[in-house]
This record gives sequence, C-alpha cells and structure tokens, in this order.
Amino acid sequence: MLLIGASVCSLLKKKYAMILIAALILLIPVVSAQQDVSCYHCHTEVVTQFRNNIHYQGGFSCADCHGGVSESNATVISANAMSGNFIGKPSRDHITDICSKCHSQEASDYKQSIHWYAIQKGHPEAATCTDCHGVHEIRAIADNKSSSNHQNSPATCAKCHSNKELMSAWYYGIKADRIDTYKESFHWKALRNGYNVVATCSDCHNNHITKSHEDPSSSTYPDNLPKTCGKEGCHPGTRFDAKVAAGLVHDKESLHTGELVFNQSRLEPQMKAYFLGPFDLAYWIAIFFKILTTGVIGLFAAMVVLDFASRFKIHRRW
Amino acid sequence: MRKQSLIEVSYSKELKGDNTMGEVFFKRFTFNQLVQHWIMIGTFMALVVTGMPVKFPDAWWSPVIINMVGGFEMRTLIHHAAGISMVVLGIYHVTFHVFVDKESLLDRKVWPTLKDAKDFWQTVLFYFGKAENPKYGRYSWKEKFDYWGAFWGMVMLCVTGLIMMFPFIAMEYIPYAYVHLATIIHTDEALLATLFIFIVHWWNVHYSPEVFPMSKAWLTGNLSEEQMKHEHPLEYEEIMRQMRERSEKVPD
Repeated sequence: MLLIGASVCSLLKKKYAMILIAALILLIPVVSAQQDVSCYHCHTEVVTQFRNNIHYQGGFSCADCHGGVSESNATVISANAMSGNFIGKPSRDHITDICSKCHSQEASDYKQSIHWYAIQKGHPEAATCTDCHGVHEIRAIADNKSSSNHQNSPATCAKCHSNKELMSAWYYGIKADRIDTYKESFHWKALRNGYNVVATCSDCHNNHITKSHEDPSSSTYPDNLPKTCGKEGCHPGTRFDAKVAAGLVHDKESLHTGELVFNQSRLEPQMKAYFLGPFDLAYWIAIFFKILTTGVIGLFAAMVVLDFASRFKIHRRW
Repeated sequence: MRKQSLIEVSYSKELKGDNTMGEVFFKRFTFNQLVQHWIMIGTFMALVVTGMPVKFPDAWWSPVIINMVGGFEMRTLIHHAAGISMVVLGIYHVTFHVFVDKESLLDRKVWPTLKDAKDFWQTVLFYFGKAENPKYGRYSWKEKFDYWGAFWGMVMLCVTGLIMMFPFIAMEYIPYAYVHLATIIHTDEALLATLFIFIVHWWNVHYSPEVFPMSKAWLTGNLSEEQMKHEHPLEYEEIMRQMRERSEKVPD
C-alpha cells in the first residue's frame, strides 16, 4: 500500500491524489449498491436481507415481487420506482399469487392445503409461502440456514403450532403440543444429533399439500398412514399393523417418555386397551421400573453416604 | 468358584532373606473371570457413552458426544455392536458357570442367603456405630447385589434392546404399546445400571478409603492376606482350616 501510495504521489500532486482516492473509496459502495438494488437508499435493512435471498443470486430485483419500475442504474431516488403496477406490501392472501407467477406447481399444491383453506375462510394468520420460506431472506432449501431446511422444519412449524393462543382459537382448536410430542420420538432424537435422514413435520404432513388428518386424501389420514410411513427412503416394505396407523401418532410417540402410559386419563377409552394392554399392564410395568430405579439408587446412594460419614467417627474400621 | 480354588494360595516368588514365607496371595478371580470382567467394562462403557445422548437428547452434551463418536449412524453402530458383544458375553458366562464349571449349582457361594439380609442390617447399624462390621464369607451382600443386579439388568436390557432393534418384527408377536414400553424399560434400567456402577460399585472398588485408588483384584485376580482377613474373614478362616487339615493328612 505504502509503495503504491508513494509512487502515485510521485506522479501526481499530493493533494489531488488524496482527493481522488478518498472519492473512489466513498463512491464504490454507494454506486455499487444503487446499481445493484434500487431501493437500497431507504430500505437498507430489507435489501441487506435480500442479499441472502436465492432470488437475488438468481438476478431478481425488488420489482419482480413488489411491482413498480426497477431502475437498476438510478443514481438518485426515483419516484418512478413506485409507479405502474406497484404493490408495496402484499396482503397475506395475495402472497401466493406473487409466488405462483413462477412457482406454479408449488402454488397449486399449496392451494389444496388446510392453510390456504383457513386463509380463504378469513383467517389470514394461517401459514402462507413466506411463513415457512422467509420474507426477504428466502434461502435455498438445501441451505442449512433456511427456515424450510429439513433440519429446521420442526422449529419453523413450531412458530405457529406451539403458539397456544393461536392454536386454541375456536376455529382451529388444534393441540399446541405437537412439537413437544414430536420431540419425544426417535425421529427428533436423531435429528437433534445431526442425523438428517429422519422424518420431520413435512415428511408426514407434506410440505405444500398439508391437509387435516380427517381429510381422506391427506397423507396423515389413518388409511393412508401405512403408505406415508412406508415411503421410499423411510420404512419401505414394512408391514404396519393397521392399528399402528390409526392416527394419534404424536400421542403414541409420547409413550417414549411414558407420559401417555402414566397419564391414563388422556387416553380415549377405546384406545386404552390397545395402548396399555390387558389389565393396564403397560402402566404397572412402567410404574414398577420407575420405583425400582429410584428405590435402588436411593437406597445404595444412601449407603455410600453413610459409609463415608461413618469414617469420620470410626478411625480404624478393621 | 471351584472348591479347589478355596485353597489355591500362591506365594510371591521373592523369598525374604530370613527364609521365612513371602507375602501370601489368595485367588479371588480366575483368569477366565477377569477377562469376562474386562470385556464387560469395555462394552458397558461403550454402551453408556453411545446410549445416554439418546436418553437425554436435549442436553447440551448430547450432540457433543455423538459428534465425538463419529455421528449418529456410527453411534447406533457402536451401540448395537457393543450390545451384541455384551449379550454374547452373558450367554458365555451362564453357559460356562452352569455347564462347564463342575461345582454343583446349589453349593455356589453367590446365592443370596438369610445371612445377607442380616449382614445388610448389621452394616446399617455399623454405619451408625451401633454394631461391629459384619464378617463376610466369600461374597458380601454388596457383592452379591452387584452380581445379581448386573445379571437382572443384562437380561432386561437384552430383551428390550432386541425389541427396539427389530420393532416391526416384535410387533408381530406383542402389542404395539409394549414396543414403546421397551424403550421406557431399556432406558430406565440403563440409567439405573449406570448410576449404580458409577456411584455404588466405584465407591466400593475405587473411591472407598480402604481401597483407594483401586482394589487391584480386577487386574491380578488376587487378594493380599491383609485384605482377605479384613474383607472376607469367614472365607479366610475356612481356607486356613482346610490348609491345616491338608497338612495333617499329608505330613512331609
């Protein structure tokens, strides 16, 4: 640097050189930002997020979603940017329309989902494209920072599905413990430890065609469950007991921690015999092992403590 | 285990200058038993390290350990391999001590007796300074509990482990709920075994001031005369009695 500076100074008069260098340094980010994304002047934060967007890397600009005129070489703020078919912030029921301009297959899948159904019924807080994929920071699915990445799928769904107020609204009435019960399954235990080829929310419920388990065409409808679980890459060729697939998968998964075994009151009467076996045997066996574990460790830990304590009184035990 | 072993007493090779007897060692475990114990230690540790991260998946150390052993698939592989090794060890142990070992099953010193219950209570009293330390034979009640605890634990963990390893095959024979119940039993039983070994067993053989840093019986299979007198006085007396009888029978 010093050498270059010295040589430049020797060629030009010193102060002109200094002004030139300073002007260049100042201009580079301003000019490049303006050339790059026209809205940068005012929407700095949004454009910064947009730079991580897969669409930005693919050459899209603000106007492709928000409408209006994109003047990529504008050196001043232009009123033209908000002219023409400018949308601004699209309403939640119109977000799909924008995405469907290019992603028509995904949009038509989504429009069969229970999320879209809820939006149409006048509940705009139901999930739309941006809730799962991000608003300005839409990353590629394979990017592990993407909220729609396989690894992040449970956290993304939990944003809404663990929200008790939202889920308990009278028109939904969905249980808010879906993620908690998923976390008791082996799928989560493996996923949490970086083993990626296990099922997350979208693998069973589908990513775009998410339907209620009461809908006969849903992947989680009891009759369709053997097919869903037996998908290629999951458990193909496994003969599932018809009752295994009888729904309540999340509640069954909570058998892993014994919650359902111990909390008999949560069981539907007709499922009780199935879950607990004859004479509620599963319940009693589980209780037996809890008592055995705490009892034996409690007793013997107490013996160790007593043994240790007794040393202070009895100097020579032998 | 064998009757003969009771009088298997070896003398250290270095004789003292005054030509009196060297230090006496008492055979505690045969080499066969030592190797079984070493394999048990290896497989048990591998199972604990690869199993506990799945029992507590949300703990901060869970992914750390999984990454350390080489990822989740490797964890499962190690856990299955170590589990099968332990089952084979258990089968070998039972086969050897039931069919190969000649001593009659009922004469084994390892069966729990009424004396053990009494010893247990006397130990509690001893800890409070109200009684003498109980005199033990070949196995104290603690050692018997260790042994039968491991025995029961291995049976339970083997059965439930196989159910978890082949859940869909198991489901053809037992109700669905019992497959999930196997995970409760397997992990609870494993936690019990882990805590028992780390707290109780290690206290008895490592941390206890009598043996600290460790009782070398697990490496050499021998006990010194001093240890023998203090930890297994009844067995010591029995051996001494048998040796006396023997030397009376065969005068040299």
